[in-house]
Amino acid sequence: MSSRIVLSTRRLVKRFPGVIALKGIDFDLREGEVHAIVGQNGAGKSTFVKVLNGIFKADEGEIFVYGKKVEIREPRDAKKYGITLIHQEVMVIPNLSVAENIFISHFKLNKGIDKKYLIDEAKKYLELVGLRVNPATKVKDLRVIEQQLVQFARALAENSRIICVDELTSALNPLETKRVFSIIEELKKEKSFIFITHRIEEVFQIADRVTVLRDGMKIFTKSITETSPNEVVSAMLGRDPGELYVRKKRSQEIYSSKPILRVINLTTAPSKATEVQLKDISFDLYRGEILGVTGLLGAGKSELGQALVGMQKIVSGKIILEDREIIIKNPNDAMRYGIFYLPEDRRKLGVVPLLNIAENIVLPKVIDISKWGILRNIRMENKIAETWIRMLNISTPSIKFRVGNLSGGTQQKVIVAKALELRPRILIFDEPTFGIDIGAKAEIRRIISNLPLQGLSIILLSSDIDEVLSLSDRVIVLSDGRIVKVMNNINLKREDIIELLR
Amino acid sequence: MAKLRVSSIRDALLALKTFLASHELAGPIVSLLILFIASTIVSPRFITFNNQVAVLLMYLPITFLALGEALIILMGSIDLSPGSIMGLVAVATSYIVVYMKIPLGIAVTLGLGIGILSGLLNGLLITKAKLPSFVVTLAMLLAARGLTFIITGGYSITGGELPKLGILVKQYFMLPLMVWFLIPLIPAYYFLLKRTTLGLYIYAIGGNEEAVRASGVNADLIKIIAFSLAGLFYAISGILVLGQLQSGWANIGYGYELNAIAACVLGGISLAGGSGSPFSPFIGAYILTLIQDILILLGINPYYHWVVTGVVLVVAGAALTRGVRFSK
Repeated sequence: MSSRIVLSTRRLVKRFPGVIALKGIDFDLREGEVHAIVGQNGAGKSTFVKVLNGIFKADEGEIFVYGKKVEIREPRDAKKYGITLIHQEVMVIPNLSVAENIFISHFKLNKGIDKKYLIDEAKKYLELVGLRVNPATKVKDLRVIEQQLVQFARALAENSRIICVDELTSALNPLETKRVFSIIEELKKEKSFIFITHRIEEVFQIADRVTVLRDGMKIFTKSITETSPNEVVSAMLGRDPGELYVRKKRSQEIYSSKPILRVINLTTAPSKATEVQLKDISFDLYRGEILGVTGLLGAGKSELGQALVGMQKIVSGKIILEDREIIIKNPNDAMRYGIFYLPEDRRKLGVVPLLNIAENIVLPKVIDISKWGILRNIRMENKIAETWIRMLNISTPSIKFRVGNLSGGTQQKVIVAKALELRPRILIFDEPTFGIDIGAKAEIRRIISNLPLQGLSIILLSSDIDEVLSLSDRVIVLSDGRIVKVMNNINLKREDIIELLR
Repeated sequence: MAKLRVSSIRDALLALKTFLASHELAGPIVSLLILFIASTIVSPRFITFNNQVAVLLMYLPITFLALGEALIILMGSIDLSPGSIMGLVAVATSYIVVYMKIPLGIAVTLGLGIGILSGLLNGLLITKAKLPSFVVTLAMLLAARGLTFIITGGYSITGGELPKLGILVKQYFMLPLMVWFLIPLIPAYYFLLKRTTLGLYIYAIGGNEEAVRASGVNADLIKIIAFSLAGLFYAISGILVLGQLQSGWANIGYGYELNAIAACVLGGISLAGGSGSPFSPFIGAYILTLIQDILILLGINPYYHWVVTGVVLVVAGAALTRGVRFSK
């Protein structure tokens, strides 16, 4: 590793509607180094490499390649400067051969394709990444690890000098990961790597330096020899006293009654490559309890919440609601049992942005408050909406305001109102304060903490340890789809949890 | 005092500007007014009473197709079968009246039923067989058109009680009967979309189908109902044309699916779903009819009508997508 800088950014800013994803990132990549970037969900890691690769365009700031200022507007510009990106979700074209995939960006429309030459050339690059397959094989017939290596071969064929790896495919097993690492180790004699990961142990296996991002800001860049896993994890999680809201814990009396929900040996089958399989999950939930569930990205928190409302395929195990085993096939079933899930991805699963606040709140139960289920009772709808706007302190110019134009925190309150209007018994919050500003965070935490007083039971899925610690009665730590430990939240310290996360 | 007036004029202009910039109907209404004024200038015959009635007679069948299509596009789907269902209903009704000697009233009811069933079939295939609406309704476009040719054998069906349908174009209080339908129709359609649960769910599905499903709503049922209702609108359109022609002709509605979609787009309905006004199909269909009328008045070769409509559509589409980009 030399000290020559191959790529650097200065005050890089990227804005999206409602959020600033990158808040002025200064970054240097040295020749021949593996530079890890770590951070929580939404810290800006992926956005950063996407800006470097021209998938997003930076709003402010400068990018330098070998000291020369460059403009990167689209992926082709990035390729021109020798920058390439290997995506987390394997980006290969399944119906083309290995060789065709490797040279996909080389084809010229005015020239024919010499298949034999292509295959001979492909062999060279396959050898470099240690992949022994016939270049004429269709990529869809390869295993996932092999598809990932084809992407590395493609990056080499493009003659890239700077290779960004946005998470290794989560489907790799430890042995396969090791194989990819030894290839990176070999390649870094000539190439430089930016390596995004959420697995701290990977950083200490492969990286030379590590940069920690949090909420779009760089916390630090350190050489791997100067830092420790604990320091990196703490920096990732951060701590902002302003956003803390500490709830008075309930007395232990809630545990004297029978649990309202029992989950026994639950195992799921993921339907997408990005989903995590839950393995043998068992826990009880008591009436009036807030049960915190935490873990790093990819631990299976969302999957756990979704499994309880029929959004994950359950292959074995039982869900018992008040002594009765129940089968939940979809969110509609779950709602009838009084279980409601508030998704992490608010824009995708939570709200209808083009509808107004009142319409979003009454959406699931509008049929019940309409005459014969057909003629809407607008006055009643407005009254319901106004009540919730007052109770949850939803800040909006009017109940007719489009939800898409509200801030993330206010949208979250609208979803909470929608859920509470259904009078549920169990509410599952998935990252309820993720990506919303500090003031709204504290308010949503206060709302959550008051719900058990009305007899509701809460499952709080959150990667924010401080949130889990300040709100929960008990804490479950998940890792890789399994329960690591269930702890009573009495004198529990964040260090205890951080220790379990890694 | 003078100061006050200046500021109130400025306020009014400002209000007009915000209306034009924000309201989803602003673009369509302004284009309609411009087209109307331009037509009045280029052709002296345009503004005559007889021509305006002719425009309305052309306008009505297209409007009903657009009203059905709007339900589907608002849901974020597409329906390619309006023209064919319209044609099928028209010839099937003629066949029932003329060859099966069934009374006109019953035959029309059966015709409307055929429209609803065709829409229902569309809806079932989309939700239960999980096929894209484009594919399902393309199949319906072909199959229903095939049936119209089979039923008619390629000829027109005339006679029997069919001429009685002429009542639809008979003049009452200066205007043909079917034109009077518009007066209750406009508020009724607004009510359907803005004051019924079905209307709310149609907008919600178009806005974010996944969120609607995650809220525990039976989105499939809503889709099936919406497609069936659209089938009913297409069927009414078929009956109206039958009233004008008083003869079941295999080519009725041929190519009209494009008129239906164009009317929705010109009226300001987003093809992405979830946004558009209940008045959009009414306005869009009027713009479309106006263009056709003025081209006829100017004696332009009918083949050019398609070209002009295509150009107008591209301009409208460009304006519309720009608008969406700004609003986001």
